[in-house]
Amino acid sequence: MHRLSGYRPGLVDNATGLISREIFVNEDIYAQEQERVFARSWLFVGHESQIPNPGDFFLSRMGEESVILCRDRKGKIHVFLNSCRHRGMKVCRYDDGNTTVFTCPYHGWSFGTDGALAGVPFFREAYHSELDRSKYGLIEVAQLCNYKGTIWANWDASAPSFHEYLGEFHRFLDLILDGWDGREGQAELLGGVQKWIIPCNWKWPAENFSGDTYHNISHRSVDLVGAGPSGQSRRDYGELNVARKLHVTIPDRGHQTITYALPRDYQPQAAYQNSPEVAEYFRHCEEERRRRPGANSRLIGAPGEIFPNVALLPRQPRTLAVWHPVSAHQTEVWRFFFVDRDAPRAVKNFLRDYYIRYSGPAGMTEQDDMENWNYAHAASRGVIARRHPYTYEMGMGYAVENYEFEGLRMPGRVVDLTKAQASEEPMRNLYKRWAEFMEADNWDDLMTWRHVSAQAAQ
Amino acid sequence: MSGPVNIRTLAAGTRVVLASGAEAEIVSNPHDGVWLFARYLPAEGDPAGAGEEEMIFAQDVVEVRG
Repeated sequence: MHRLSGYRPGLVDNATGLISREIFVNEDIYAQEQERVFARSWLFVGHESQIPNPGDFFLSRMGEESVILCRDRKGKIHVFLNSCRHRGMKVCRYDDGNTTVFTCPYHGWSFGTDGALAGVPFFREAYHSELDRSKYGLIEVAQLCNYKGTIWANWDASAPSFHEYLGEFHRFLDLILDGWDGREGQAELLGGVQKWIIPCNWKWPAENFSGDTYHNISHRSVDLVGAGPSGQSRRDYGELNVARKLHVTIPDRGHQTITYALPRDYQPQAAYQNSPEVAEYFRHCEEERRRRPGANSRLIGAPGEIFPNVALLPRQPRTLAVWHPVSAHQTEVWRFFFVDRDAPRAVKNFLRDYYIRYSGPAGMTEQDDMENWNYAHAASRGVIARRHPYTYEMGMGYAVENYEFEGLRMPGRVVDLTKAQASEEPMRNLYKRWAEFMEADNWDDLMTWRHVSAQAAQ
Repeated sequence: MSGPVNIRTLAAGTRVVLASGAEAEIVSNPHDGVWLFARYLPAEGDPAGAGEEEMIFAQDVVEVRG
């Protein structure tokens, strides 16, 4: 009798499209991926609008670990491990706030907002002034990037920059972070962060948001209810009916998304008819957007995933979600909602109501998804279930490079879903990259694009 | 020895006596109940230490002078 003790090559078999259930339910594999995936990847931490003033902080997470996103007294942004250097106690136990120091409640060690160890009780008496305080500041991430207001961090100094990590996928993230009218970096966070726990492995939602269009039957009831803000089923059917529906994957990065490419001469349709003010705002934005140069003016965003655990939803509700691993069998979801900074108050209020109705723990579609992931995970944990891999064979061999639609070029490998409706190319891309992280010993092996460039230059 | 001092209630400008006998004036209070930022006042035998700003640990505060 053999019981798998951890990751081994072959669990993700892209040649056959079969993927072992072990990668979802095996606790040893889960422990390994904390080191090999989460300690080496760029992870989303928060948004600069959460910490506008010196001393502001927001408690976030990177993988399983608690981190503090804060702005020091000089205005510089930092991300620190939320753990005292003396005995490891959390030095911050508030969700957010403003402070001059983070004081450990255990023995009283105190750290400035720049991470420096500022106060050590009985420093003169008990330590005889001999402790080198400069060695024991809060542990800071190796790399940090502020990308259009979003803060990303990485524990690995040898990882590529965030821009290089993202590659050409940035244009899909830009669909959230740029203004609806196409102006750069106009998004701001709307309200707080919704947080809740789902009893499933983090890869379930990551896979789903990578571009699972096959599961739309799960949301059929929402579409039938017709609770959309246009007073009908979906406001965007008009656009979707004339657009090319695509799966776009970036194979050497592990990012993937659904997107819709509009015809060159497409004119925006009316939407949000339930509210004249909101309808007028979006009509104006769509018009402006199409006037601006840039490939994104003809793209409609849709669910996507930045490897490993950040999901995009660039269309309304406009959100980023983070799938924080808690255990092999539990995921804590944090959903951040975005809106145009300059949008009228009435538009923001309207969108807030819509976002809550659609997404989040009480959102109509998110509830459908959680039900699926929850039960699929539970039904895959048993000894018999684990013997049988999942199939990801749909659409194998149908992805192409250099895809173009009426002059609009797409990066990476593309599957045209306009007729096919669905493929599992994005999931294969996600798990291929995941397996590469599990097997590669260093970032040099993971940056395959650099090797290709070097070879081409020779 | 009197009971513990609740340093969270102390405002900037308040003078406190420390376990060492030194006296200090509070510069700012982060209100975490553990630390104060304070400036040492001139003390007999240690005139050099006066004016130094330091973080004062709550357990070091033994008396409030007002």
